[in-house]
Formats: sequence, structure tokens, C-alpha cells
Amino acid sequence: MQILINILVTASHILLIATGFSLIFYTARFFHFAHGIIFVAGAYLAFFLSTWLNMPLAVSIILSIILCATIGCLIELAIYRPLRKKKSSELIFLLVSLGIYIILQNIISMVFGDSTKILRPNSVTEGIAVLGSRITPIQLTSIFVSLTLIGILVLFLNRTKIGICIRAVANDSDLANISGISSRKVFVWVFGIGSALAGLAGILVALDVDMTPAMGMNALMLGVVAVIVGGVNSLPGIALGALLLATAQHLGIWFIGSQWQDTIIFVILVLFLLFRPEGFFGKKIKSATV
Amino acid sequence: MEYILHILILIGIYVILAESLNLIVGYTGLLSIAHAAFYGVGAYVAAIMALKVGSPFLLNTICAVVISGLLGGLVGIPSLRIKDHYFVIATFAFQIIAFSILNNWVSFTGGPMGLPGIPQPSIFGWVISSHIEFLLLVSVFATLTFWICQRIISSPFGRVLTAIREDEVFALAAGKNVALYKVAVFAIGSGMAAIAGALYAHYISFIDPTSFTVMESIFIISIVIIGGAGSLWGPIIGAVLLVILPEVLRFVGMPSSIAANMRQILYGGLLVAFMMWRPQGLIGKYGFKLEDTKK
Repeated sequence: MQILINILVTASHILLIATGFSLIFYTARFFHFAHGIIFVAGAYLAFFLSTWLNMPLAVSIILSIILCATIGCLIELAIYRPLRKKKSSELIFLLVSLGIYIILQNIISMVFGDSTKILRPNSVTEGIAVLGSRITPIQLTSIFVSLTLIGILVLFLNRTKIGICIRAVANDSDLANISGISSRKVFVWVFGIGSALAGLAGILVALDVDMTPAMGMNALMLGVVAVIVGGVNSLPGIALGALLLATAQHLGIWFIGSQWQDTIIFVILVLFLLFRPEGFFGKKIKSATV
Repeated sequence: MEYILHILILIGIYVILAESLNLIVGYTGLLSIAHAAFYGVGAYVAAIMALKVGSPFLLNTICAVVISGLLGGLVGIPSLRIKDHYFVIATFAFQIIAFSILNNWVSFTGGPMGLPGIPQPSIFGWVISSHIEFLLLVSVFATLTFWICQRIISSPFGRVLTAIREDEVFALAAGKNVALYKVAVFAIGSGMAAIAGALYAHYISFIDPTSFTVMESIFIISIVIIGGAGSLWGPIIGAVLLVILPEVLRFVGMPSSIAANMRQILYGGLLVAFMMWRPQGLIGKYGFKLEDTKK
């Protein structure tokens, strides 16, 4: 039972990262590596605001999510937009986002140091007993928050004007432009929302366990694997992917040992890439186009 | 003097790594983030053979090349099925798996403690002990790598690789076995990275997994791209530049606590700047262009 709760908590973290990543990946169509560092930035900004500036935790969490969204928009405006204007290939985007990742990670580790930091406000509290196992309030919140936000995101994408524009650009940006949708505006929205989700995920993980500047790469890869396993643009698929990964991770820790969890995750990824690259629910990926 | 020789030896090792990655990235157009993994495999094979079997340097190097080349072929196989960024992610996955095996298989690789006490290389009784002798050895291997790359590029094999980079469907239509070529070039490139690994292991005489991380892979990619992917001299220029630049930071009096971070910020920044304004690198020809803008 305890393992079930742990799986749910981990899955909710992965789900948040993966949804933000897939929103960006499906709309802008490249691997945004810097997503992983915004996850870290969220946690460290919250730490900075609450511990160094002594702001209340709730305020600093909201502020740092807004800051993360701003960073995401700035990256899009300052770097990706000029690249898109030059019609750069997706490999260039990928390399640039790797560069951004490295720069931001090193800035964070220069400012805060490489040691593990804790965001938890007070000492470890005893969890609430549920069916003979324990769940901390933070874990409960993170499951609740991530499910709510994903629900809101689905409504946003289907019901609001901007949401529909986002889906139109994701589907075919040229066609969307012809119909008078500004794809430039849409990209800013997408990076803002995606980065806010990443930042929030970072904060939740930091509240639940702890944080280091290097945690972004693994978190990002978990998100990416969940997206690939679930199928891009399929929220139920991604949720299933997140659950599968969380299960594999925790069962792996249980049976083999925690040091092999990365290996398990990536073996799953390689298997999916080899045998079912479109994921559970995704559409077939176009192979070569002439 | 020792210090200058040390820098030159490092440049030599990175020239080997960058030239071999250039075959894969620059000439065939497959972006791989796993090069440090093959570098690491080479280093560990050589180190384990030297420590546990006590075999001579040249034999270690050959074994390292063969094992790493076979592994490279294995990793190259996904490239038959997946393209572009999915392939990048697959190589990334291999990099992470390789690192966690090096880090966790403690009984064989020493785990995070690494493998200390790797003996100095000896070739037919000639023990290489001083920096200057080692520089000679590295130069010989770097020249050899450069020569092999040049032979590959100017051969029909190399021309097919460039054709795959420019237009894969066209190469297929011309009756070339694209899949086989991709696996072959991946195996060759990975094998050559193992040479650098073996040299590094015997030179530093201590290896641990932190020398072969994702960041190291990205560093090697930066060398190739900043120097110029798809040109023979580009990676050499890139290696010289990116190995020497961080050393300059040391001389302007930067404290060592932030020097490592500054070094990474420097090459991350260079990577972004080059991709934005000069994607073909300093002297390269291949700028990761989109297929429909090439016409």
C-alpha cells in the first residue's frame, strides 16, 4: 500500500514535467532540453525567496512559478524566435537548448553551491494515516495539484480562444498562420505555460524530497520518457506513461536497488523507441518525407 | 613546461574524440550525445586489462577499440528505425545507462571510487614515463586518427555518408544500403573514441565515472560544432580553442571554486552563439540545414 502511494506521488511529479514538455514539443516541434533546468530554477527560486528573502512559502512559490514562466517566454523571445526566423533545423534548436541548459545549471550551482538544499518549511511531519500507510500533506497536495492543473489545461486547450490557437499551430503552423493566427504569440504562450508547469514540478519535488542543481537532467528525461512511452499529444497516454515509469522506478528500487533506477527507465525508453516509437496512444510517426 | 605539455596532450586526446565524432555528426548527420560513453568504455577496457590481466598497452588499446566499436554498432542499430531528435534521445539514453553501469558495477569498475594505479604504457619494452614521450604517443595516435578520417572521407564510403547527410531518401534511391552505412560509421567513430579513452586512462593513471558524463559528451559536441562540423580541420581548431580558453580563465585570476562552472558556461554560451549566428562553425561546411532549404 505504501508503495502504491509513493508511485502515485512520483507519477504526479513526472506528469507535470511531461505535460509541459509535451505541450512545447508538440507545438514547437523540437526537444526543449532547457525545460529540465526551468524545473530546477523553480525549486531554487522558491528556496531563494522563502529562505534568503524570508517571504512566506506560499507567496514565494507563486512568485517563482511566475518567474519560471517569464524565463520560458524570454528564452523563446530572445533565442528561439530569431532561430525560427532563419528556418533553422530541429537539431540546431536541440543544441541551443542544451547550451541554455548548461549555462543556467552552472549559474544556479555558482549562486547556491552544489550541496543538497531542502525547501521543507519545518521538520519532517508524520504523515496522515491512510489504509495502514502514510502520506504527508505535501504528497497529498502534489497529487491533487497536478491532477487539477492537468484538468485545467485540458479545458484551456479545448475551450479558450488561445487554447484553440495553440492546437491549431501545433497541428499545422503554416495553415494556422494563413487563417490569421499569430503563431509567434502562440509560441510565447506555450513556453510560458510549459515553463510554469516545469517550475511547479520542481517546487513540488523539492518540497517532497530535496534539490541539487544537477537534478534537472534526470527529471527532464523522466518527463521525456513518459511522453515517448505515452505518445506525444495524448494526455491519457502521458498519464499512463508517468504511472508506468513511477511503477518501474519503485518496483526497481524494491527488487534490484535504487542505484539502477536510471538504467531501468532508459531500458524502457530504448525498448519503446525500438518497437513502438509512437507510444501507447500516439499516432504513427511519419518516417522519411521527401 | 610540464603544464604546457599537459595541455598539448589533452588537446591531442580531444582531437581524437572530436575527429571521430565528426565522422558521425559532421559527415553522416547523426547527432550523438553518447560519445563520452564510448570514450569511457575505451578507458575502462584498457584500465581493467592493464590492472587485472597486466597486458601491454597496444593490446589494451586494440581490445578497447574492438569492444567499443561493437557497442557502437549496437547503438547505431536504433538509427535504422528512428530519426533526428528521437535518435538523439536514444544516444542520450545509452550515455546515461553507460554512466550508471560504470558507477554502479562496483566489483568490476570500482564504482564511484574509480580505478587507481593504471600503469604507464610500454610499447615493445619502451616505457613511456615523461610528459614529452607521452605527447609523442598521443600525437602519433591523433595523426593516425586524422589520417584514417581523411581516407574515409575521400573514399566512396565517405561520399555515401555525405549523401546520407544531405538527402537520405536520395541515397536510398541510388541503391545504397543506408542502414548498413549508418551502423558502420557509428561503429568506426565509437571505436576511435576508445583510442582516446585508452590513452587517457594510461596518461592520468586514474579513472572514475565522472570523466565520462553527459556534460563531457556535450563538450565534445561543442568542440566539433564550434570548430566546424563536416570539415577535417574544424575539430582540430575546436579542440585547440576549447581546451585552451578555460585555461585562460585560470590566468585572469578566477578562483578555482567557480572556474569549473565558468568553463561550462563558456562553452554553453559558445554553443548557443555559434548555433544562432554561425551554425557551420569556424571553418565547417555543414550547418544542420533543413532539407528543403538546401536546394
